[in-house]
Amino acid sequence: MSAFRQRSSVSYLLALPAALWMIAGLIVPTLFIVWVSFWATRRFSLESPLGLMHYIKFYNTPVYQKLVIDTVLQTGLLMGITLVLGYCMAYFIVGKVRGEGRKILLILLLIIPFWTSALIRTIAWIPFLGVNGVINQSLIFLGLIDEPIGVFLYSRTGITMAQVSFYTLMATGPVVYVMRNIPPSLQQAAQCLKASPTRVFWRITVPLTIPGVLIGQMLVFLNVMADFATASAIGGNKFTYLGNLVLNLYESGQLSFASVIAVVLMLTMFAGVALLLRVVDIRRLGAL
Amino acid sequence: MHWKTRQKMMKLLLGGVTFGFLAYQWFPMVIMAVLSFTDPEGGVTFPMRGVSLHWYREFWADSFIDDFKPPMYRSLMLAVMCSVTTATLALAAVQAMRSRFFGSNFFFYLILLGIMAPGILVGLGMAFVARILGIPLAWYTTTFAVHMVWTLPFGMLLLMAAFNRFDHKLEEAALTLGASRWTTFWRITFPLVLPGVIGAALFGFTLSYDEFARSLFATGSEQTLPLIVFAQVDRQLEPTLYALGTTTTVISLLMIGFFALLFHIVRRRSRSDVAITT
Repeated sequence: MSAFRQRSSVSYLLALPAALWMIAGLIVPTLFIVWVSFWATRRFSLESPLGLMHYIKFYNTPVYQKLVIDTVLQTGLLMGITLVLGYCMAYFIVGKVRGEGRKILLILLLIIPFWTSALIRTIAWIPFLGVNGVINQSLIFLGLIDEPIGVFLYSRTGITMAQVSFYTLMATGPVVYVMRNIPPSLQQAAQCLKASPTRVFWRITVPLTIPGVLIGQMLVFLNVMADFATASAIGGNKFTYLGNLVLNLYESGQLSFASVIAVVLMLTMFAGVALLLRVVDIRRLGAL
Repeated sequence: MHWKTRQKMMKLLLGGVTFGFLAYQWFPMVIMAVLSFTDPEGGVTFPMRGVSLHWYREFWADSFIDDFKPPMYRSLMLAVMCSVTTATLALAAVQAMRSRFFGSNFFFYLILLGIMAPGILVGLGMAFVARILGIPLAWYTTTFAVHMVWTLPFGMLLLMAAFNRFDHKLEEAALTLGASRWTTFWRITFPLVLPGVIGAALFGFTLSYDEFARSLFATGSEQTLPLIVFAQVDRQLEPTLYALGTTTTVISLLMIGFFALLFHIVRRRSRSDVAITT
């Protein structure tokens, strides 16, 4: 994207503010979390001896390890649901809707909630999920159930329902972006050569959209892993994921242990991203 | 089945999924807005009783969550700060990356890391930094710092797309005709990428205005709006919260509308400029 190149020295000057900001606002805080996680006291003091005290506590407490598995399972569930929903929607918007104006309208309808408060959207789910909530009342009205059922609010179902409405956009957006950039001539060429629509879809569209799918899934993975506000507001503190544990430990003043959980969360996320990149590389080899 | 009927059914199915999801996504927000107009006796769910502005009066008169106005003011100020800073720093960063300087890849990933880092951890780390270095927590320092970490990458990605889209021969022409680099940037490049700059400002504003996870540990006693909303959900759910939620959602929507209008004007103007010159 060059043509108009900056001299190197000017480039450094231009890049400096952003780089310093990211170092001060992200890298240093992360290093401090790692540092604090090795403090072997319960107090928050710079003179703390370093040690593995809190890591050993984590290692010896199966409840906390189960929380890691719960968080990963919940994230996996969300990734599955948003993958299917997101791909269907992207395919419909890009491939089936006629007219640029209508496409943009649908994309805007999809994206606008992302620019409003996630917390408020979580609160908005509560009147739906309660025992006397909208869902229960509609089900009774339709005659599907006689008594209100309590599976929605303060339950994993409720948390999942709300999370699906928040995070599907992240799985859809990148696929829409990638799909819009596929030259139509590719599909036309395949059709001229008598490939059936199904075959065109699987041999042309899917392989070319895999990068978008991957980015979308990565965004969903990173966001659901770190989401604690939804579980806290809808789950009523009954369900916790790693983020909630960090919050609880912070509030009870166990800062070193909170850092250990934070480090565990970070490592799990790194592992997940590495795994995702791996899966796609293998698939790409298959496609070639 | 003939493949054409199959295609038609497929289209129906996919359309159903899409419109179904859009309804699913928007419905709770609409219901919240409706319920916020319930009577003083009305609860937080259906059946709705009567129509009144009671809960709006209630939250305007600060009888609930101490007083929401200072936090709302802080959130708006912070959002404006993030909006301006994101647009400026992202523009500088992307312009810098056009020459592949030593470490430019590293620089790109450093900024991108801001999208990947979980909010609660960034906030936690910032709380430690402040405590250890003895910096007091405040919305206009520590919270501002962590919000930027979240908004800057979005601004950068948007601007990279904007820079990739225009015809770079225009810049070459200006340089060949003897314009300085400075003049070329401000007279040619900047107007061309201005829609991208506006997009970056929009992301800076809305993402900061609604940010909760990053603010949680990094903000001191002077809290922002999402923080007092979260505290209130923990305590008690009242229709006042719906009134507040509806109000802030409307503010967000107005801001989106404002930026969309700006975007539209800039685009029309740059198009008519091109029409005149050609």
